[in-house]
Amino acid sequence: MLRLIYTTTAVQRKNVGASGPEKYTEAFIKKQIEEFNLGKRHLANMMGEDPETFTQEDIDRAIAYLFPSGLFDEQARPMMKHPREIFPEQRKIQWGEDGRPFHFLFYTGKQSYYSLMHETYEKLLNVEKYQDQLIAQDLPLQKEKRNLAGSRWLTKIELEEMLLEKLSDDDYSRFIQLLQKLTDLPCSDIEEKYIQKFSKELPVQMQKVVIEPLQYDEQGVAFSTGEGRRKTARATAVVYDNGTGKMTVNGKDILHYFPVLQDREQLLFPFQFLGRIGKHDAVCTVSGGGRSAQAGAIRLACAKALRSFVTEKEVEFMRQAGLLTVDPRVKERKKPGQEGARRKFTWKKR
Amino acid sequence: MLRSLKGLACRSLKLEQGCGLPTAAKECLSSIASQDVPTPQRPRAVFHTSESDPAKHTEQHEGRHYSIPLEEVKAVFPHGLPYRFQQQIQTFNEACVMVRRPALELFAYLRGTNLAHPAVRYVIYGERGTGKTMTLCHVVHFCSRQGWLVLHIPDAHLWVKNCRELLQSSYKKERLDQPLQASAWLKNFKTTNERFLREIKTQRKYVWGKRESTEEGRPLGEVVEQGLARVRTASDAVGVVLRELKQQSPLGTFRLLVAVDGVNALWGRTTLRKEDKSPVSPEELTLVHNLRKMVMNDWSGGAVVTTLSQTGSLFKPSSAYLPQELLGKEGFDALDPFVPILVPNYSPREFESCYGYYLERKWLQHEQARTEDGKAELQFLSGSNPRQLDRLAGPL
Repeated sequence: MLRLIYTTTAVQRKNVGASGPEKYTEAFIKKQIEEFNLGKRHLANMMGEDPETFTQEDIDRAIAYLFPSGLFDEQARPMMKHPREIFPEQRKIQWGEDGRPFHFLFYTGKQSYYSLMHETYEKLLNVEKYQDQLIAQDLPLQKEKRNLAGSRWLTKIELEEMLLEKLSDDDYSRFIQLLQKLTDLPCSDIEEKYIQKFSKELPVQMQKVVIEPLQYDEQGVAFSTGEGRRKTARATAVVYDNGTGKMTVNGKDILHYFPVLQDREQLLFPFQFLGRIGKHDAVCTVSGGGRSAQAGAIRLACAKALRSFVTEKEVEFMRQAGLLTVDPRVKERKKPGQEGARRKFTWKKR
Repeated sequence: MLRSLKGLACRSLKLEQGCGLPTAAKECLSSIASQDVPTPQRPRAVFHTSESDPAKHTEQHEGRHYSIPLEEVKAVFPHGLPYRFQQQIQTFNEACVMVRRPALELFAYLRGTNLAHPAVRYVIYGERGTGKTMTLCHVVHFCSRQGWLVLHIPDAHLWVKNCRELLQSSYKKERLDQPLQASAWLKNFKTTNERFLREIKTQRKYVWGKRESTEEGRPLGEVVEQGLARVRTASDAVGVVLRELKQQSPLGTFRLLVAVDGVNALWGRTTLRKEDKSPVSPEELTLVHNLRKMVMNDWSGGAVVTTLSQTGSLFKPSSAYLPQELLGKEGFDALDPFVPILVPNYSPREFESCYGYYLERKWLQHEQARTEDGKAELQFLSGSNPRQLDRLAGPL
């Protein structure tokens, strides 16, 4: 019995196995670079600027102006960058026309890794030889300590990107051990340049927040201001010294503005923590948000204002208690296909 | 040196839903007369006085608590004390009131009243929870000790809302009667002023129905009995009592104190509706009508002390506390020449006194509440407001 099966041309092709990431040929990349440069000149013309001196920053600014986007993720916005940054680097073909590989370690499977290990070991031997020379000449060994605290070795992923090859954890740890051995030698300064290729500086330590000094108003009473925010509420607080513990918010007493005990407890917290409940007066303004958000914003503002009255140690304690951190929680966005941010629609079996 | 974070456990406990009536002055009942526990009278701390006669309270006693014997409480205040305070009396087994400046001011005025002149009206006003009702009760106690006839209406708001039964008045067709409220009030009135009811005689004949009437010259107690027995005529009985007292007070045999709590109810709106769902205005209620006449200053031989109350009031915003706002134009004009008396929050001294009282009665159980820091916290969180302090101290 004949059965006619109607198929489309797409299905008639053989079932090709899923290929890996697309391979970009050299010619393709070259073409992309040419197009990019041309596009850059066109863009410069459009913006009315000089095509010769159009830098990448100018391009970014121009694109942000021409295609404004409200997306939060930077990577999702339209961008125009050099093709080298967009297309990941790929390994060129490792063998010639006759099928013979270029690199002598090709058949190990991890040619770049082993060649790197060989190189590093060569440097190590170099340093040892230099050391022996110095000892033979009875010269003192140089001991300039490298700043180990400010730098770190490359991570496994970064190393993989550098070598364009997959590594295993074991390989990576062996390489790092070798590097460490190299740096521990006293005369490793001669190979400083080589070592620097594999180390990265740690980001600068958290900037010290400048604590404002106290200001004095007409009667000579010391005061200090602080700002705080929480969700959508923004608050400013002015905390005066020599007070009786009274607080005013937007012109009203806290008992009237915050009838709920919980909000008043939040306001009390910074003063209670420092043990200065009845000693300061505060005048605050707040707008936006709801009841709890306003209370949290004022709390942060008061804590920030109190920093000027208090020793550094206590500031550190306040920071650890969480009084000086902005609460990052905001309302989560509602997603399509769900009823709320997390809540899904009622699941019906049929 | 990490200080511990706040130790008050209020957050987890829901505060009680007490009828938030202003509870400023605490009534201490020192049982000097009836000591249940025969322990030697330990000297009570600074914030107590043994002076239990309000007449002798002076500025010296300001901020201190004095106690009222429990029997007197039952006699003088069958109704009228705030609900939370009554609970406190039961818990502590004594009724202690704090002597505060507004009350002392009122005593001074009352002592100096000229009985020949028309009655002066005093309006006690203040924010929510500062102690207006307690001041009024203090004044009532003072007057009853002095031998005045006290006409104490505990809360005028009770007469304009939540009334189940409304009868058409037999006396005047447009008016409406409230038998339940009237009879309850008459009962309490009887308890307070027993001896006066025997002495005062009616001045004309009152006919209650086809068969009942009260002759001229009968003691007022009979009118009250009549009202209690025949609940239908209770509101009219109340009206009769008020009119008699008003007429006889200028004669000078007794001094009359009219104490009304929540006087702004008399001129506001009501939540009651007639059978055809049309709203009832206060004039159409017999009780309110008669009370309004009482509060006028066209009689002499006594005084009128009233309190404004936002808590029970209808259709008024919660931030309103000034006489103008709460009474409305009509009420303000009606009460017009009056002496306003402001009741503020606790002063630091009064706060200390109240705090000390709670400590002494072991009401504050939390260890941290006993420290100086705890006291400062309580002061901050309550804002020195008596009601807030009372509610805060509850769960501790």
